[in-house]
Amino acid sequence: MSYVIPIGPYHPALEEPVHVKLYTDGEFVDDAKVYIGYNNRGIEKLAQEKNFIQTITLVERVCGICSHSHSLAYCLAIENIAELEVPKRGSYIRVIICELERLHSHFLLLGLAAHIIGFDSAFMYTFSAREKVMEALETLTGNRVNYAMNIIGGARRDIDKEGLKNLLMIIEELKEPYERIIDIFGRDKTVALRTKGVGKLTYDEAWIYGLSGPHGRASGLKCDTRKIDPYCSYEDFNFNMVVQKDGDVFSRVLVRLLEIGESIRIITQAAENMPDTPINLGVKIPRVPAGEYCTRIEAPRGELTYYVVTDGSQGNRRVNIHVPTFRNAASVPAMLKGNTVADAGLIVASIDPCFSCLDR
Amino acid sequence: MHKMDITYINKDEIVSMAEKMLSEKRRLVIMNGYVDKEGNNVIAYNFDIDGNLKTYICKGEKTFPTITHIYKGSAQWCEEDICEVMEVDFEGLKKGDRLFLPDDFDGSGQILVTPIEELRNKYKEKVDEEENK
Repeated sequence: MSYVIPIGPYHPALEEPVHVKLYTDGEFVDDAKVYIGYNNRGIEKLAQEKNFIQTITLVERVCGICSHSHSLAYCLAIENIAELEVPKRGSYIRVIICELERLHSHFLLLGLAAHIIGFDSAFMYTFSAREKVMEALETLTGNRVNYAMNIIGGARRDIDKEGLKNLLMIIEELKEPYERIIDIFGRDKTVALRTKGVGKLTYDEAWIYGLSGPHGRASGLKCDTRKIDPYCSYEDFNFNMVVQKDGDVFSRVLVRLLEIGESIRIITQAAENMPDTPINLGVKIPRVPAGEYCTRIEAPRGELTYYVVTDGSQGNRRVNIHVPTFRNAASVPAMLKGNTVADAGLIVASIDPCFSCLDR
Repeated sequence: MHKMDITYINKDEIVSMAEKMLSEKRRLVIMNGYVDKEGNNVIAYNFDIDGNLKTYICKGEKTFPTITHIYKGSAQWCEEDICEVMEVDFEGLKKGDRLFLPDDFDGSGQILVTPIEELRNKYKEKVDEEENK
């Protein structure tokens, strides 16, 4: 018997609105269609009517998880058009916030994956580790969601010696729960049964969909923008690009798990070697000539691109935002084929989608 | 600081450029669209060339050839997204359903050039009309 099973746009396993139509044969998925756009807030259009300073605040609200990545990508685009060179300390502070954001995003996905699998004690353990990261972000920036740490020309706020010491202490405290989470996900039979061989995507499929971030790297793509096209002084830090080859849900979980370790290394290096320079260029209202620039940065979920066009006025001609989920969500039908309906929620969640980001 | 590496191409060169990029295994990073100050449609194709972005720009056209038969999944949503906000067509693009805009939105293709106040008023009128029914 064949059925068409709708999932979403409001579904208990997925926290954000997306609609997936599953075309099934019995309990196996033959084909699927993804419908997006339930959360469009017209942010790109609004950006056309804002000046450069207002736009930073606006784009930071595209997403509640990777808010810093959005404002950073926008600032980098404007700085490149205006030919502004950010002082090293400003770049290092941006890197620290980027990596803390990656930590809490990856912990979030690991927790949600555990919850969907039905392993709620792992969910709680992961979220208690995530809470330490949230505390660090709150201490450094004053906020848990929109950090407001970027301005055009550098970082808005400094991190003093005491702050850096405190950060290193929190990072040290994180190591023990992190080891335990690796142990849980690496050894547990339930996790393995629910994730290994499920929702597979080959290297060739990943390439043709143009996948990015942990989702692409789980299928063998070497696509970490921090490594291949460094920005914000990422070239100063010693870390590895985590790549797996199996392309299943387990690989996606594993990539994120190992990337947490790499982010910890980056934060430690940045905090220990913080340069003694100004944090920004002191630009209040930037003079931006007519120009265009395409920025790409490695947000927690993958490659985030901002195409910004200016026309010499005080506002944007165009701000075109493409988030990692724009790339990764298109691959969902290919991942679902041949899998069971019961695994559909987990497979969709394994790309770590952010539909709020995607719809902007 | 990175410099944009831009090459301007005409409409007839788009497909051969995409085929060349695919044969060299260059990843299509993203496609973007905007309307410039003079009112020209501008489409930008951004490729990853050994870690650097290479941008090909084609401007001043109303129709562009699709590259979805070359870059398939990478280009599909990019072209559909551009069609929703700009008055352009990609010849040969098999459009699915809507992407970001509501099903009943009647200003498709006009968003980038319509002032936000006008869009707001149109929406208000629509809501009033429905309420009065």
